Amino acid sequence: MKRKRSLVAVVALMMLTSIIAGCAGGNNEASNNKGTNASSGKEKVEIKVWLTPQWKGVLDATEQGADYDSFLKYAAEKFTKQYDKYDAKVNVEVIAGDQRDQLLNVNLSGGTPPDVFFESVFAMGDYVHRGALVPLTDIVDDSAKSDIAQNYWDAVTFGDDVYFYPFQHNPGTLVYNADMFRAAGLDKFVGEETEIKTWTLAEYEEILKGLKDKLPKDKYSNAYPMAQYAVNNQGDTWNLAYLRMFGNPFFDEQGNIIVNDEKGVKAMEWLKKIKDAGYTNPGAESVSSNDANGMFQNQQLAISFTNPILFSNTKADMESGKANKFDMRLANIPSESGDPLSFTYVVGASVFQTNDEKRVEVAKDFVKFFSTDPELVKSSKNGIPVRTSVSEEFKSEKPLFAAYDANSKYLFNFTGNIPGYSQLREVLYPELQALYIGAKTPQQAIADYQTNGNKIIETNKASSVIYQKK
Amino acid sequence: MRLRNQSIKENFTGYLFILPQILIFLVFLVYPIIEGIRLSFYQINYQNEKFVGLDNYASLFGDPVFFKALINTVVFVVFIVILTVGFALFVASAVFDKNAKYVSFIRGSYYIPVMVSMVVMSMVWSFLLNPANGLISYFSQEMGLGTVNLLGKSQTVLPVIIFVTFATNVGQAIILYIAAMIGVPKDLFEAAEVDGASRWQVILKILIPSVKSSTIYITIINIIAVLKIFVVIQLLTGGGPNNASVTLMYYLYNNAFKYNQLGMASAVGVIMFLITLLLSVPQLRSLIKEK
Repeated sequence: MKRKRSLVAVVALMMLTSIIAGCAGGNNEASNNKGTNASSGKEKVEIKVWLTPQWKGVLDATEQGADYDSFLKYAAEKFTKQYDKYDAKVNVEVIAGDQRDQLLNVNLSGGTPPDVFFESVFAMGDYVHRGALVPLTDIVDDSAKSDIAQNYWDAVTFGDDVYFYPFQHNPGTLVYNADMFRAAGLDKFVGEETEIKTWTLAEYEEILKGLKDKLPKDKYSNAYPMAQYAVNNQGDTWNLAYLRMFGNPFFDEQGNIIVNDEKGVKAMEWLKKIKDAGYTNPGAESVSSNDANGMFQNQQLAISFTNPILFSNTKADMESGKANKFDMRLANIPSESGDPLSFTYVVGASVFQTNDEKRVEVAKDFVKFFSTDPELVKSSKNGIPVRTSVSEEFKSEKPLFAAYDANSKYLFNFTGNIPGYSQLREVLYPELQALYIGAKTPQQAIADYQTNGNKIIETNKASSVIYQKK
Repeated sequence: MRLRNQSIKENFTGYLFILPQILIFLVFLVYPIIEGIRLSFYQINYQNEKFVGLDNYASLFGDPVFFKALINTVVFVVFIVILTVGFALFVASAVFDKNAKYVSFIRGSYYIPVMVSMVVMSMVWSFLLNPANGLISYFSQEMGLGTVNLLGKSQTVLPVIIFVTFATNVGQAIILYIAAMIGVPKDLFEAAEVDGASRWQVILKILIPSVKSSTIYITIINIIAVLKIFVVIQLLTGGGPNNASVTLMYYLYNNAFKYNQLGMASAVGVIMFLITLLLSVPQLRSLIKEK
């Protein structure tokens, strides 16, 4: 009896240990495999590459089996074939954009960050300040520097170093329904199909008024002139652009917010004014940019926001009959000075500090390879290429490239490459909500935004490796 | 001494059987709680942890949004729990002694929203409530009342969320109450009938006291569920307008995943844990005493 009992105990203990052991092991997807490949005699190195959905296919979405990872998978194959330093293996994984920070934070804490991340730079700047990324300055050569304009390099430079290899960019603009403009008798403000129309602020207000008063109600019932939204941080870059409308520079040299001045207050007042005048969709405080985009597609809004990817997706939906067809054209965000307000999301690859020299080396080589290979950089035509050579090549096929190019001299860096940018985004929309519901005056709202924003920047500067180095 | 040894030996197999459960309890519940408390005293970033004492708590208490979240959470708990218990008692006591098919129908219809995911329910409500192109706003415009934005006013946003959460949760309580009421011994009702008690007296003097343990249970699970209210806030209002609908759980989420302030988030977690503990202890005690 006693023996039987101890036997049971031993078996139970063994089962438990095996369960616990099972939990602990095998969690190392990407690893520096110490073994060597017998056939090539090279050391094996495996890296993990993450990306958020950008475009489908290698060159474009018409290819068979085109998916978000097609490009990087093809690039990985081409890279490993010609790579002679190691026997490299590249694992590509697509990550949902809204889970990016959660996944990265968990993996960074667990010591298993990806080796390469391909994503919009503005979303990744905080990781530079946190010391999670390695500088890429040493893989940027002169030919790349001359082919890619300086303002794109500025967007990816933190302190003295480049941390992202610019690949393509997505400029943000306004989009308008030219049919609605014509219906309201605003023909003279309609630009060319391949143009990004620039209006002065006075003209823009005339347009809003015209749309409000003269849009035929029978044809466009329940329609409003312009999109306004502030329920969350989505699409907030346009709201940030409006705050610069009257010439406020937004950041000072030290990376602090200086929006609380006469110009900033004027911008806030303008936002409240167009809301109160009924020039915008109702309930901006609880409408998201997604809602606004949907309303624009349903012809309930005449002017909304867009970027090249969103614009071409909407066009494709119209062609395929998924959405109502109408004449959709691009315009710049107007400003008091008359110069357009222009910003862009630079997309590029970054390399994480995995504390494994060989993996970092391979990751850097891979990033350099697909960001410079003449065949692979052509894929940047899915957004707007950062390389002059590529946009020249596709100029005739994509007439808007020239228009975007002409805008590039007006680009402002909306993140200021400051530490804590993603946290900073969280303090703007509550102030806009307070402004729209009348809980705060424009002066109060802008002052509180500046105070709260600078507090965040201050805290994050204290832990930023870039600022601590200075 | 020998006796004690023997009893330990006899119980050994028993302890061995509950060992896996105890281990899982320790690893997945006790350890995270202790770790959460520890983290609340640290400032954490990717590279290191720094002990900051009570700094996280100090900055929490210096943040007006935290107090707004605290008050909102209390308002949610009080109203949703009272509404749920009251309405579920009302429905259950009205139908429990009717014919079985009718009871099943009522049970089923109130339970459907409980089965539907909270995410789906919230999205349906957000379609209805959207001020720009939602159904409610559309009808009010058609009736000449102009646009309504119930989620965009600090006065109406809380009642709307309370109603949505209550409507989604009440089915669970109704099911539990009906089951408990069906189990109340029939002779009590017969005796009451003989004594000439009215329906109201039966409900008040027999039914409600007989289902007291269910009431305590429903109250506790609802308090805990409402303290953790998150999905509705995230999908309907995002805490807005102007932080009018922020709850503690949403505030915790913002700190942990948006602001990357794990220390602050842990401090909020610790405070929530204490509140739940405080609220549940008296009720649990009365439940245990009864047994």
